[in-house]
Amino acid sequence: MKYLLSSAIILLCLACAKLIMYYTGGSFPAPLLAMVILLVLLLAGIVKEQHLKPCASPILNVMPIFFIPAGVGFIEHLNLIKSNWPFLMSVIFIVPASTLLLVSSVMVFFKSRKNND
Amino acid sequence: MTELKPDIWWLCVPIIIALFLLLRAFNVRMKSSALKSITNPVFLSIAVIALLLINLNLPYSKFAYHSQLLSWLLEPAIVALALPLYQQFIHVRKNLLLILGTCSLGIVNATFVAFLLSVFFKVPSELSASVAALSVTTPISLIVTDSLGGISSLAAAMVIFIGLLGALFGFMLFKLVKIGSHESQGVAMGTACHAIGTAAALAEHPKIGAFSSVAMALSALLTAIIVPLLYPFLVNSLL
Repeated sequence: MKYLLSSAIILLCLACAKLIMYYTGGSFPAPLLAMVILLVLLLAGIVKEQHLKPCASPILNVMPIFFIPAGVGFIEHLNLIKSNWPFLMSVIFIVPASTLLLVSSVMVFFKSRKNND
Repeated sequence: MTELKPDIWWLCVPIIIALFLLLRAFNVRMKSSALKSITNPVFLSIAVIALLLINLNLPYSKFAYHSQLLSWLLEPAIVALALPLYQQFIHVRKNLLLILGTCSLGIVNATFVAFLLSVFFKVPSELSASVAALSVTTPISLIVTDSLGGISSLAAAMVIFIGLLGALFGFMLFKLVKIGSHESQGVAMGTACHAIGTAAALAEHPKIGAFSSVAMALSALLTAIIVPLLYPFLVNSLL
């Protein structure tokens, strides 16, 4: 019963999000909207953590398996990757380095300001 | 093309599951955080299967068709991510605004820098869309990239590489620029390098790991909201 309730909550949120996106015609990904809906329901106390756990915990535990088939799909684009490797290498190095530096510096700045206050 | 007998293809799903569980068990045995990052089971599973398909000359389309069951389960799994998000939310209420602000800044920076690089290298639009949402956990990146018209499989591989680089060199970078605060390091690692960076952060110090996991969870939510709005804006205003 608890598994049924847990999976029903997840699937209902997903169905609601898909309906919203279908009728509004927006391009926002429905599973992400469903995640936000479920988070709001949890924060509002409408859905309890223990109602969600029976199905959500095992599915999250094996979640990485679900994106392996999609991940393998890069072999369909090997030519595109080969012809754009300088760009891809730049992205792999510059994007995380700039984000790490910016976020940590801003955190240090605001934390020291807060401590001085 | 080598044609496997049709009844052989049903083995796709069991092989993926067995391979992943085997590699995860191997990964758990690794002692150092660097080895843990390099032996990331998702990265190795994707690499092994890709090499098998290429070397045996097997069509990816058939592999994708016969492993659809796993791809379908990705959607409810993304909805279930609301649970860890909620669990992290209730622990950081005190610093929520600051972490939300810095995470948002990090996401905007990652999308903006990737977009500038794509303009500089004059890459095709599908490649540009593929690198718009990289500083986030793989399932969110897959869905967001897909919605932007990018190549989600390429984004998945890039996300893992970024996580690996962050885990291997992130703390060296902090030392180089003399950022010693655990909170700052944790939030930066979680925002820029998602789960793989968070695992390295946990190995470095529990406090860094705690802040990293909070930032990672918040980044997942913020990326889902910010990138689908920011990327089309950048394309329309700068191209």
